[in-house]
Amino acid sequence: MIKDITIGQYFPGNSFVHKLDPRAKLIITVLFMVLIFMCKNFYSLAFMLVLLAAAIAVSKVPFKMFFKSLKPIVPIVIFTTILNIFYVTGGTVLFSWRFITISTKGIFTALFMAVRIVALIISSSLLTYTTTPTMLTDGLERLLSPLNKLHIQVHTLAMIMTLALRFIPTLIEEVDKIMNAQKARGADLESGNILQRAKALVPILVPLFVSSIRRAYELAFAMECRCYSGGEGRTRMKKMKFGLNESVTVLLSVVSIAAVVLINNLFGKII
Amino acid sequence: MNEIVLKTEKLAYVYSDGTPFRRVAIDDVSIEIEKGELVGIIGHTGSGKSTLIQHFNGLLKQTEGTVYVKGKDIWANKSDIRQVRFTVGLCFQYPEYQLFEETVAKDIAFGPVNMGLGKEEVDRRVRQAISFVGLDSSYLDKSPFDLSGGEKRRVAIAGVMAMEPEILVLDEPCAGLDPKGRDTILELIKQYREKTGSTVIIISHSMEDVAKLATKVLVMNKGRVVAYGNVDEVYSRHNELVEMGLNIPQITSLFVRLKEKGYNVRTNIYSVEEGRKELLSILKGGREND
Repeated sequence: MIKDITIGQYFPGNSFVHKLDPRAKLIITVLFMVLIFMCKNFYSLAFMLVLLAAAIAVSKVPFKMFFKSLKPIVPIVIFTTILNIFYVTGGTVLFSWRFITISTKGIFTALFMAVRIVALIISSSLLTYTTTPTMLTDGLERLLSPLNKLHIQVHTLAMIMTLALRFIPTLIEEVDKIMNAQKARGADLESGNILQRAKALVPILVPLFVSSIRRAYELAFAMECRCYSGGEGRTRMKKMKFGLNESVTVLLSVVSIAAVVLINNLFGKII
Repeated sequence: MNEIVLKTEKLAYVYSDGTPFRRVAIDDVSIEIEKGELVGIIGHTGSGKSTLIQHFNGLLKQTEGTVYVKGKDIWANKSDIRQVRFTVGLCFQYPEYQLFEETVAKDIAFGPVNMGLGKEEVDRRVRQAISFVGLDSSYLDKSPFDLSGGEKRRVAIAGVMAMEPEILVLDEPCAGLDPKGRDTILELIKQYREKTGSTVIIISHSMEDVAKLATKVLVMNKGRVVAYGNVDEVYSRHNELVEMGLNIPQITSLFVRLKEKGYNVRTNIYSVEEGRKELLSILKGGREND
């Protein structure tokens, strides 16, 4: 159950994708997500998927890891697919019985939606697999720094995110430990109806909250002891570099916007 | 020879198989533990001690090999695994972080209630367990979160003892306690074993504690068992132990060095008191130098 959570997990490597500046990766990922929803026919969708596959190949992250990250969203994909098949109408009607109608457009929309969600998850997994959480939030902080002018404390937000991401593995480990300790005392977490299962979580959640609060206090103390006082005047150990590689990849993704628009118009839209 | 209550055969466990994080935690562990024994497991951090004991009650399923509890393969029937956890009581490191109930009594009762015991039996076991850990029954109605660190630890250990396991496994029961708290816990564990006659397995960093308590010592290094035998046997291989980064008790190392200097002394000395006697007998001229 817990091992399925792969958000914020880093997969060490030394590939081109790993070395790319996090700001560039963030921009590309957002662009990709927008583009995947701009695809209106199979050709443009295939084009985007090829790009994604190429990025994965370059990153050298095993494909197995992406299947793992897809596992938790399988129900969502199935749910939206079914919903789209029955609710979207248009195109040729393939099947009709009382109030149920299935049309070609419904099937295409369902298919596109499923592929889009999967691509969405895979692309964001690629980002987190190839970027350490610290790099990611640092990049985000730099990208959003113009917001400082609007008196939004970007640094504080980025720090909160860094800490949250940083503590995901710790919490997972903690939950694992507590679960094992309670299982060793015969706790039954796997059987029973929903109510019984919810009740079985109490022996895990109470110690988890207690230790999380304790940990938060300790962390705040430790940070204050090292004179942390927010973002003002802070320098970085690792300078980010937006060099040639970054410029070229971002440029290429901008070019692919044009490509998708072109393909959409060239071959006709089907949804 | 006594009945063998716990046995492992060529046990191996691999973490995160198939990812860059792959790590062999334990490998080729074959041991036998007899009834009533007190086994001390020592080893460096990351030597696989904690991974090993989690196989004893089926919290981890081995990648290879078999675990036998009282002669039965614990994974022979998957649905019986909960029963194994009542036979082999496992108490983790820093067990005080598992406390969750409103009162000490309810928390200790968690195990016995899970066993499906009747109210009276649960009550008897709770009272007995709290006395095993040296606290009086006035503690039963307190909140476990109001206790001191040492008391919390003892309540948590009582929670495992209340299941009356035939084999009690403790992972570093003294970690993070002051010397007095440490001595108390070790004394309580010793008494528990004497009173109930159950088998006890303790993981410890302290070679002194293991020497004082254990009837047998198991040394792990890099996931493998490097020595398993009684205290004298294992500690006589002090050179190997030091090489593995384990410190033999200071007093023992003093006598080892005396021996190296040519004095005719025993080296199986694990406490200052024993050492004093040995030194006095030499100083009085009871034995001549070689």
